[in-house]
Amino acid sequence: MFESRISRPLAITVSCLSVLVALLVWQILATQGLLGQNFPGSFKTLKELAWWLSDPFFYNGPNDLGIGTNLLISLRRVLIGYCLAVLVAVPLGLFVGISQIAQSSVNPFVQLLKPVSPLAWLPIGLFVFRDSEITGIFVIFISSIWPTLINTAFGVTSINQDFLKVSRSLGASQFRTVVKVVLPAVMPNILAGMRISMGTAWLVIVAAEMLLGSGIGYFIWNEWNNLSLPNIFVAIIVIGFAGLVLDQIFGLLQRRFDYQD
Amino acid sequence: MTSLAVPTTPTHPLGQRWPDAQVSVEGVSKVFSPEPGLFDFLTHRRPTGYVALQDVSLSIEKNTFVSIIGPSGCGKSTLLNLLAGLDRPSVGQILVDGQRVRGPGPDRGIIFQNYALMPWLTALGNVEYAVQTACSGLSGGQAKERAREYLALVGLERAMHRFPKQLSGGMKQRVAIARALSISPSILLMDEPFGALDALTRSYLQEEVLRIWEDHRVTVVLITHSIEEALLLSDQIVLMSRGPAATIADVINLPSLRPRQRSVIDQHPEFLAIKLRLEEHLLKETRAVEERT
Ligand SMILES: Nc1ncnc2c1ncn2[C@@H]1O[C@H](COP(=O)(O)OP(=O)(O)OP(=O)(O)O)[C@@H](O)[C@H]1O
Ligand SMILES: [Mg+2]
Repeated sequence: MFESRISRPLAITVSCLSVLVALLVWQILATQGLLGQNFPGSFKTLKELAWWLSDPFFYNGPNDLGIGTNLLISLRRVLIGYCLAVLVAVPLGLFVGISQIAQSSVNPFVQLLKPVSPLAWLPIGLFVFRDSEITGIFVIFISSIWPTLINTAFGVTSINQDFLKVSRSLGASQFRTVVKVVLPAVMPNILAGMRISMGTAWLVIVAAEMLLGSGIGYFIWNEWNNLSLPNIFVAIIVIGFAGLVLDQIFGLLQRRFDYQD
Repeated sequence: MTSLAVPTTPTHPLGQRWPDAQVSVEGVSKVFSPEPGLFDFLTHRRPTGYVALQDVSLSIEKNTFVSIIGPSGCGKSTLLNLLAGLDRPSVGQILVDGQRVRGPGPDRGIIFQNYALMPWLTALGNVEYAVQTACSGLSGGQAKERAREYLALVGLERAMHRFPKQLSGGMKQRVAIARALSISPSILLMDEPFGALDALTRSYLQEEVLRIWEDHRVTVVLITHSIEEALLLSDQIVLMSRGPAATIADVINLPSLRPRQRSVIDQHPEFLAIKLRLEEHLLKETRAVEERT
């Protein structure tokens, strides 16, 4: 709006420079002691990162796992809870979008529970399941369900009525119309919802794992107890990259299903 | 919004009925009633509806080309939706082949103004969906073959693997025509099918429709706001009055001059007379609509 578009190589160069400057400023602030004593600089943090990445998948007992091993533990929980949530949210969202009755019966729960931090469910999960692994999955399930559900339902209500008219006029059954017309028509909305859900799940897992005792979130908690700030920064960088990759996968999927004309 | 009394017993002007009518619209009225609000609920009031159509009666003979023309907003699309079975009349009934219309069916193909092509399917996929849905007896291969056949009929055999966003407006409308014809309907319902096209594409497609109609005779109900289009294509022109409570003002039979050249409309004395009559009617109704507000 304000500037003319810049070329892609220039954009990448500027981004890299900006990161380099930030690392440099960080290093200077840390070595000057402006961030408190013993605050790690970016050089030390990057050195730690290189060390962790040189052998990411070791296992020396429950409190000494490689960062990759921890990441896989977290990813596994997220994927299981998230997939379960999508399996529930998409059909339920379609149903809520199609039927006023379903909408009226589901709406109070959505409105009431959506604003609650999923972590509030952690004690309930622990009490019911008496298992930290299942509780983690449960918390992810709860946190992933709302965005996908709401986006799917909204997609159905805003579907182009002409598509439904065409399908009805051909004598298609309700079921055929839902599978062949409604589902593909709301695919962009479903994917947008799934992308937000994935973002939320990845935010929540770190916090949940601090209380659950394994995974990348617990790694951070553990390193805090060891007062090892560089390792916490390493974890932050790794979590950020994993989140970025997950988000980009959805970016690709959304581009594949973006058929607006 | 004006509310008018809706007659409970439909009247049948006998002069408009043929014994062998394929479609007969008998005393049809359509009232759109808004959802009652809280205030209406508390005061036990029923909100007054909007009477779109009042006491419409019409007969359409088999394999004729009928155009419906009328001022904007008079209820043409409403009438077409009723014929399609996508909506129900508030009063009266519609018979197709002697059967009361209770819903949409594959005996009636519909072409919408804005194409209504599903953007996630190719041109072929769109037509195939129609064939597979309406003709459940066909195998997958036969359905595809039939879809190809109809795309070839509208001259799209080379573009059939393209998605709607890769097609021009005229091509999209041709896909929509192929889709509507592919289920072999006995009635083709078109709601301003060429309204969104530029003048050249429009006249080209009008001729295409005529060509196809010459060898695939079906009953056509075409809604249009173009007098030229109605004169070029139809056997019969149905003139509607303005809304609310729109009804049929006149039915004009055109001389059976086919194939019909575009120049005929401006040269043939009978066509000229009809053209003037249509222009006068539309102008009068449109003026009344504009001056009311
Ligand atoms: N679902 C609806 N609820 C309430 N009013 C409606 C509804 N559908 C149509 N109407 C009203 O009925 C009248 C006729 O509408 P319709 O779309 O049939 O007109 P039309 O003749 O097709 O107009 P146009 O030439 O602009 O396409 C309009 O005044 C419109 O506002
Ligand atoms: Mg209309």
